[in-house]
Amino acid sequence: MTLDPRAFREAGRAALHDPSLRIALGRLKTHFALGRARAVERYGDWEALREQGRAIRDYALAHLDTLLEEFERNVVARGGQVHWARDAKEAREIVLRILREAGAKSVTKGKSMVSEEIALNPYLDANGVEPVETDLGEYIVQLRREPPSHIIAPAFHLNKEDVAKTFREAHTALDPDRPLVERTELVAEARALLRARFESADAGITGANFLTAEEGAAVLVTNEGNGDLTRLLPKTHIVLTGLEKVVANLEHAAVLLRLLTRSATGQDISSYVTVMNGPRAPDESDGPQNFHVVLVDNGRTRLLGTDAEEVLRCIRCAACLNHCPIYAAVGGHTYGATYTGPIGAALNPGLMGVGVAHRHPNASTFCGRCAEVCPVKIPLPTIMRHWRAREYASGLAPKSMTAGLGAWAFFAKRPALYRFAAGIVACALKFLARNGRVHSLPLLHNWFLVRDFPAPQGKTFHALWTARQ
Amino acid sequence: MSAREDILAAIRARRAKAVAAPPSYCAPAPPDSVQAFVEHATRANAEVRLIANETEIPQAVAELLRARNLPAIVHVPPNASNLPWNSAPGLMRERAAPGPEDAAVAIAPFGIGETGTLAYPSATDAPASWHFRAGFEIAVIRAEDILMRMEDVIARLKATALPPTLNFVTGPSRTGDIEQTLELGAHGPKVLAILIIQD
Repeated sequence: MTLDPRAFREAGRAALHDPSLRIALGRLKTHFALGRARAVERYGDWEALREQGRAIRDYALAHLDTLLEEFERNVVARGGQVHWARDAKEAREIVLRILREAGAKSVTKGKSMVSEEIALNPYLDANGVEPVETDLGEYIVQLRREPPSHIIAPAFHLNKEDVAKTFREAHTALDPDRPLVERTELVAEARALLRARFESADAGITGANFLTAEEGAAVLVTNEGNGDLTRLLPKTHIVLTGLEKVVANLEHAAVLLRLLTRSATGQDISSYVTVMNGPRAPDESDGPQNFHVVLVDNGRTRLLGTDAEEVLRCIRCAACLNHCPIYAAVGGHTYGATYTGPIGAALNPGLMGVGVAHRHPNASTFCGRCAEVCPVKIPLPTIMRHWRAREYASGLAPKSMTAGLGAWAFFAKRPALYRFAAGIVACALKFLARNGRVHSLPLLHNWFLVRDFPAPQGKTFHALWTARQ
Repeated sequence: MSAREDILAAIRARRAKAVAAPPSYCAPAPPDSVQAFVEHATRANAEVRLIANETEIPQAVAELLRARNLPAIVHVPPNASNLPWNSAPGLMRERAAPGPEDAAVAIAPFGIGETGTLAYPSATDAPASWHFRAGFEIAVIRAEDILMRMEDVIARLKATALPPTLNFVTGPSRTGDIEQTLELGAHGPKVLAILIIQD
C-alpha cells in the first residue's frame, strides 16, 4: 500500500463503500469518545488542566532552542548521545549508522509515528537490518504491509477476523489447525512470538512522548510494555522523535501526561510510563549500554512563527481523530499520510507542502469538535483555514470552486443584482420543491444522494429585514 | 553548517514572541493517598491486599499463587532477598530473571495515590526488565511510601539522583489494539497483585 495524499478523493470514495471498515469506524464513538468523556468528568477541573497544558507547550516552543541545548547537555552528561536530523533522509542515515556501529542485524521497535513519517522500516530492510514492530497493532499492520490507520491504534481499521487471517498467513511455523477466534488467543500468540524477538534483538528503537530538558530524559507511554522490553533487553537503545517534543522538565511532562492518556484512551494513566534517562549504570544488570536520541526536524522548525505554529503543541493523543466526522467516514488510510484526521489536516501541508497535502485541510466540515477536545487547545479549524487560503493563493483550488466563488463574488459586489438574483433563486427552489423539501438540483446530484433541502418559505432574508426596519 | 547548527539557527530566526513560564499547577487530589491508591489501582485491574507487616509477605505470596493454581515458585530480585522467606515453607525462590509465565516479587519504593501507580527506580539490586518479563508481578509497598502525585515522587528522587530507568506501573499490561477491546497481558504481566504493608 503506497501513501499518496493527492489521492484523497479516490481513496475516500473506496473507503465509503468498504463494509468492514464501517464496522471498525463505528468503534470511534462507542470506545474512544465515550472513554475520554468519562475520564474528563472524573478528573474535575479539566479546563484548568488544559490551560496549563497549553501554557507548558507554548513555553517550550518559545524556548525551543535553549531547551534543546539543555536537553542535549544533560543527555551527554548521563552518558548518552544526541543526533540532529534536518530531514527524513538524514534521520534514516543516522539511525542506520548507529545500528551498523552496534553491529545490529535485528532491531525491535516500539510504536513511533516519526519512524512512519521518515519511512524507516523499508530503508532498514533494504540495508540488511530487520525491523520488528512490537506494539500489537503496529505488528499486525507490519505483517500486512500496511501503514497504521490511526495515531494510537494502528490496526484500528481491522476486525479480529482480519487479524486471525493475517496471523495464519504469517505464522506458518505454528499448527495450521490451532484455534484463533478469540482476541485472547490472538494476543497470546503475538506475545509468545514477540518475546523471542525481544530476547534476540541487537538494538531497540522507540519514540518518545516527551523529552525533558532539565533531566535529559525521554518519557515514554505504553500500555503493553513493549516499549520497555525494546529499551531494556538489547544493548543499544535509540529514541527517535520530533524535536518539538521537548518540555522544560519532568514536572511539566507530568501535567501533560494527565491530559494525554485521558484524551487518548480515557485512562487516568497508561499502564506504563517510563522515564528513560541515559544508558544503564555500570553496576546495573539490565538496561541498554548505549543510549542515543535522534532529534528530527523534517519541516517542524519551518512552522515556527507562522499562522500554523500552534500545531506544534500537539501531544499526539488522537482525540481530534476520534471526534472527527470526516475521519469517522473515511478512516485513516484515505489520508495517504502518517498523520490523519484533523491533526493531519493541520500538520501535513506544513510538513509535506501545500502542493502535496492541500486536500487534507479541505476534508473538514469545520464543526469545531476537534478544537473542543484538543487537550492543548490547538485551534485546528483556524489552521486548516490558513492552509485553505494558501491553497487558493497557490492556484491549487479545484476549478469548480474557483468558478463558483468568482460567480458569488460577482453578485456579492453588486447588492441590487444580488437581491434580485436571490429572489429568483428562492422562487425557483419553491417551484422545484415537493412537500416543502428540495430533493435534487442540476450539478448537485451527489450532494442530494444522502440529503434534501428545505424549500424557502417566503421572502428572502433581505426583504424581511428591510420590512422590519 | 552542521545539522545541529542549521536547526538551532532556523529556530532562532523564527522565534517570534516572548512567553512567560507557566504558573505552578497542583492536580486535584482526595484527602487520603492510600485510600485513593487502592481505589485507582483496583480500577486499573490490579488486585490489592492490605497486610499488617513485612513478616506476612511470604505467606501472602504463597496464597496468591495457590489461588491461581500456579506452582509455588516465585522469582525474587536482590532487593527482596532479605524478607523472612522461611516463614512460608514450600514456597520456592528463584534468583534468575522471570519468564513470561513466571511470578516475580517487586519492591516499590514509592506509590502514587492519584492514579494507583507503583514507582520503580532501576537499581543494581532492582532490575527494571523484571517488571515486563514476568507473567505475574506481586508488588510490595509500604503505606507510608504512597504519596499523592507523580510530582511528589519526582521531587523525592531528585533530592538524590534520578535512576537510568524510572518505571511507573499502573495495573497489568494491556492492549486495546484488536477491536478497541481490552485484553490483559500483552507483553508484560497478565496479573498485578499489590501488597500494602500497613505498619
